[in-house]
Amino acid sequence: MRTFVRKLVIALITAWVTITATFILPRLMPGNPIEQLIGKLTGRVTPEEIAAIKAQFGQGLNEPVIVQYWHYLVNLFHGDLGTSITYSPQSVSSVIFGQLWWTLGLIGTATVLSFILGTALGVYFGWTRGARTDLFIPVAGFLQSTPFYVLGTLLVMIFAFRLHWFPFEGSYDATTVSPGWNWAFIASVLRYAQLPLASIVLCSLSGWMIGMRNMMVTTMSEDFVLMAVAKGLPKRKVMWHAARNAVLPQIANLTLAIGLLVSGALIVEQVFSYQGVGGLLVNAVSNLDYPLIQGIFLVITFTVLIMSAVGDVLYVWLDPRTRTATVE
Amino acid sequence: MTTSSNPVLEVSHFNVDYGVGAAAVRAVDNVTFTLERAHVLGVAGESGSGKSTLAYGLTRLLRAPGIITGGDVHLHLGTDADARRMDLLAASEAELRAIRWKHISVVMQSALNALNPVRKIGKEFDEVLKTHNRSMSKSARKDRARELLGLVNLTPDRLERYPHELSGGQRQRVMIAMALALQPELVIMDEPTTALDVVTQREIVAELQKLRQELGFALIFITHDLSLLVELADEIMVMYAGRIVERAPALELYRGPRHPYTLGLMGSFPPLHGERKVMTGIPGSPPNLKDLPGGCAFHPRCPYAMERCTLEDPMLSPIEDGQRTVACWLHDPSVSAAVPVELRRKDAALAGEAG
Amino acid sequence: MRRFRLPGTWKVRVGYFLLSIFILFTVIGPWVAPYDPSYTGFTPDLSPSSQHLLGTTLLGQDVMSQLLVGCRETLVVSFVAGVIAVVISIIVGLTAGYVGGKTDEVLSLFIAVFLTLPGLVLLIVIISLFPQGQQANPLVIGSVVALTGWAWGAKVLRAQTLSLRNRDFVEASRIIGERRWRTIFAEIGPNLLPVLASSLVGTVLYAVSVSTVLAFLGLTPITTWNWGTMLYWAFANNAALAGEWWWLAGPCLAIALVGTSLALINFGIDEYINPRLRVGNLSNRERKRAGLSRRPKLGFTPVHRVTPVIGAPVMAGAQTGPEVLATEATASTPAPREDHP
Repeated sequence: MRTFVRKLVIALITAWVTITATFILPRLMPGNPIEQLIGKLTGRVTPEEIAAIKAQFGQGLNEPVIVQYWHYLVNLFHGDLGTSITYSPQSVSSVIFGQLWWTLGLIGTATVLSFILGTALGVYFGWTRGARTDLFIPVAGFLQSTPFYVLGTLLVMIFAFRLHWFPFEGSYDATTVSPGWNWAFIASVLRYAQLPLASIVLCSLSGWMIGMRNMMVTTMSEDFVLMAVAKGLPKRKVMWHAARNAVLPQIANLTLAIGLLVSGALIVEQVFSYQGVGGLLVNAVSNLDYPLIQGIFLVITFTVLIMSAVGDVLYVWLDPRTRTATVE
Repeated sequence: MTTSSNPVLEVSHFNVDYGVGAAAVRAVDNVTFTLERAHVLGVAGESGSGKSTLAYGLTRLLRAPGIITGGDVHLHLGTDADARRMDLLAASEAELRAIRWKHISVVMQSALNALNPVRKIGKEFDEVLKTHNRSMSKSARKDRARELLGLVNLTPDRLERYPHELSGGQRQRVMIAMALALQPELVIMDEPTTALDVVTQREIVAELQKLRQELGFALIFITHDLSLLVELADEIMVMYAGRIVERAPALELYRGPRHPYTLGLMGSFPPLHGERKVMTGIPGSPPNLKDLPGGCAFHPRCPYAMERCTLEDPMLSPIEDGQRTVACWLHDPSVSAAVPVELRRKDAALAGEAG
Repeated sequence: MRRFRLPGTWKVRVGYFLLSIFILFTVIGPWVAPYDPSYTGFTPDLSPSSQHLLGTTLLGQDVMSQLLVGCRETLVVSFVAGVIAVVISIIVGLTAGYVGGKTDEVLSLFIAVFLTLPGLVLLIVIISLFPQGQQANPLVIGSVVALTGWAWGAKVLRAQTLSLRNRDFVEASRIIGERRWRTIFAEIGPNLLPVLASSLVGTVLYAVSVSTVLAFLGLTPITTWNWGTMLYWAFANNAALAGEWWWLAGPCLAIALVGTSLALINFGIDEYINPRLRVGNLSNRERKRAGLSRRPKLGFTPVHRVTPVIGAPVMAGAQTGPEVLATEATASTPAPREDHP
C-alpha cells in the first residue's frame, strides 16, 4: 500500500508542478514574452482579445500574484484554459480536444503494440543470449538511438516516395472519404496510420526489447529459474518463470517511457503531417500562441500521468510483494 | 572400497572446469564415489572447495562457464524389478527433463531465491506435480501438496501464501517438501540450512532425519559445517580445492579425523551436542583455484607439512583396512615420519603413549 | 581501486570508432568543409557526384559542407547538455543517496516528478518563452535540454550511492570520522564512475535527439548550421516529395549513427555494471577454439571430455591446460543407455 500512496503523491505533485509551472513560467521569463506577444498581436486581433490575454498572463493587473493564481486555478478547474490566439475565437480546450483523439489513438496503439512486441522479442533474445540472435542487439541499438522523427523521415522516403506503398502525409484521404462512423473512413484512417505507427513502434520497441533482454538475462541467473529447470519443467514453462519476473521492471519503467513516447509521437505527427496535438503544438509555438501552448502542456502531462497510473496499477497487480504491508 | 550392493548413484573420475582453454580452472578434480540407496552422504569443505560445483555438476545443472570435462555419472532409477542405469553425462535434454525431480531433486541454499517471488506456494507444488503426472487431478494435486506440507510440519494454509510472507525456516521447509513431492530416489541439498539460525537448523536436520527414515531417499547433504553431518550422514566426504581429501563413515570421521584439513574444519564449528571445545579454525585462506600450490594443495596451511607435501600430490588411498580413505602423505606407508597423535587411530594413539 | 575499463567487445570498439570520427569532425568539420554551407550559387538539386559528394539542395547549397559544419554545433550542444545534466544528477542523486532520511524523501519525489513530466513538451514550452536572441546560444539550449533530462541519471545514481553507502569501506571512513563530503568524493565517487559514464552517454543520446528536434521544428534559430536545421530546410522545401533523398539521408544517418555509437558504448558499460550480462565469462571464440560447439544452455551443463596427452601427468591440478584430443558428448548424441545392469 505504501508504494501505492507514494505513487499517488508523486502523481499529484507532478500535476501541481505542471499547473504551477504553466502559471509561473510566462511571468518569470526574461524579456517579458507576453509583452512581446501583445506587441505583435496589436492590430491583428480585437482589443477585447488582447485584454483577455493580458488578464490571463497577469499583465497590467493590479491583483497580487496569489489572487491571479487563485483565479487561474478556478478557471482550470472549470476546464477553462483561455482562448486560443491562432484559432480565435475558439477556446483552447475545444481546439485541443478536437485533435486529442487522433493523438491518443496513435499513442495508445503505439504504446500497446511496442510494449507487447518489444517485451516478447526481449524474452526471446534474452533466452537465446550468446547465440547468433545477439547480432540483433546492435540493430536494436540503432533503432533505439535514432530519434523517432529521423526514422519516420527515412520510412517516408523509402516506403511512401520510393515504393509508394503508403500515403506520405495526412491522417485520412480527405478527397474521397468524409469523417464519421463509416467503413470507408475507418479503412482510410487505418491505412494512413500505418506508417506513422510503424515509425513510433519501431523506435520504442527496441527500448522495450533491450530492457527486457537485459532483465531476462539477469533474472535467468536467479536461483528460482535454475530451480524450474531442476524440476524438469518444459522449456516454455522455465521461460515463463523468468519472463514473469523480468517484466516487472519493464512496467516500472512505463512512467519514464511514456513521457518519451508521447514526446516522440508528437514530432512524428509533424513529420507525417498527421492530425493531432503535435501539429497543434508546433503551430502554437510558431504563432506564439501561449494560451494554447500551456493548454497542450497541461493536457499532455495529464495524459502521461493517467497512462503512468495505469502502469502503476498493473505493477501492483503483477507483483504480490507490493501488496502485502506486513511480513510475518 | 567395498563393491556396491544397491547403489543409486555412481560417480567416477568426475571433473568439472570453469572456462575453457588456457583460462580453464579445475573446480572438481577426479572425484569418485558411490552412494548407496537410502544412504546419506555428507560433503563438507570451505567455500571454494568445489562441493557445490560437484552437486550442480552431477545433476548437469551447473551454470556457464562450468563444463564437465571428464568422468562418468550413473543414476540407478526405479525399484529392483524395473531398475535401469542411466548415464547422466550422455543424457539428452529431454531425457534429463524426464528424470529431473522425479528421480533427483535439489534443495538450494537460499529458499527465498529458489522460490519464484510472484507465485503462491501452492502453485509451485501444483506445477511440479502436474508436469510429471499428467493424469493427476487438480484436487488430488492439492491434497498431495497439503500432505507434503504436513510432512515438514507446516499448515496447509501456507499454500495460499507468497514466499515473502513466510519465515526463512518455513521457506526452507517448503523447499524440502517440494523436493520430496515425487518421491525421488536421490535428493541433493546444497547448504540448505546455512542461511538459517542455529535453532531452526537443528529442527530441520532433525526433521530430515525422520523423513529419510520414513521415505527412504538417498541424500547428498552439502555443508561447510561438519557438526551438522555427524548426526545426519552415514558417510562424510571432505573436499579441498576440488578434490576429496578424506572419506569415512560419519561417526568414525567425527571421532578421529585423519586429514589435517578435516581436523581444522572440525575446529571451526561448535558441535551441536556435547562438550564445548576451543574453536581453532584453519590458518590461511581457501586456495585460489587459478593458482594452486604444487604438491598437496593444502600444504601451505597445513601445520604438519613435510618436504614431500610440497613436491608430490598425495593420492586418495585406503587406510585402516579399507575402512576409510585419505589423501595425505602422513598416512603413507612409505613415509617414515610418525603420524601425529590427533590424526591417529585412538587405540593406536594409546598404544603409542604407553610405549 | 580497480580501474574502470570497458570490456573490449566488438560492440564497444565499433562505438568508440564511430564516435571518435564524429568528434574529429566536430573539431575539424568547419575547416575541411569543401564550401561555405550557406553559399547558394551551385546548380540546385544535384544528386551526389564527385563535385558535391552529397549533392546540392534546392537552394543550390552543398549538402556535404552543411553536414560537416553542422556536426560541431550539434555535438557541442549535446555534450554541453549531457555534462550539465550529469552535474545536476550528481548533486541531486548523490545527496539523496548519501544523506538519506527526509532529504532523500524530498529529492526522490523531485526526481520522480521530473521523470514523469514529458520532457520534450516542457522543453518546447520553455524554449518558446526565451527571447529570440538567446535561442541560438548553445549554453542556453544545452541548459534547457539538461533541465529536462537529468532525472534519469539522478535516479540511477541515487540507487547506486544508496547501495554503496552501507558497504564496509564507506562505513569505515565514516567511523574514523572523515568529513562527509570527503567520504562522498574519495570513497563513493570512484565506484560510481561506470554509472556516471552510463548516464552521461544516455543524456548525450537524449540531447542529440532533442536538440535536433528543436531545430527541425524551427524552434531554435534556423540561420545557423546543425543537423536539425538541415532537416528543417529539407522539409520546408519538400525534399522528400521532390525525391531529393540525399538532402535528408545525410543528416538522418549522421544523427542515427551518433546515436548508435553512443548506444553501443552504453551496452559495454551495462555489461561492466552488470556482469551477469556477459556471456557467462565464456566468449564464443574461446568456446569454438576448444571445440565446444554449443552455447551454454541454462540447466544443461555441457559435457566436454578432455583426454590428457599420454605421458602427461594425470590430473596435476588446474594449471595443466588440457592439451587435447577432444571428444564432445553433448546432448545431441544419442544416449547410450544400459538397461538392467
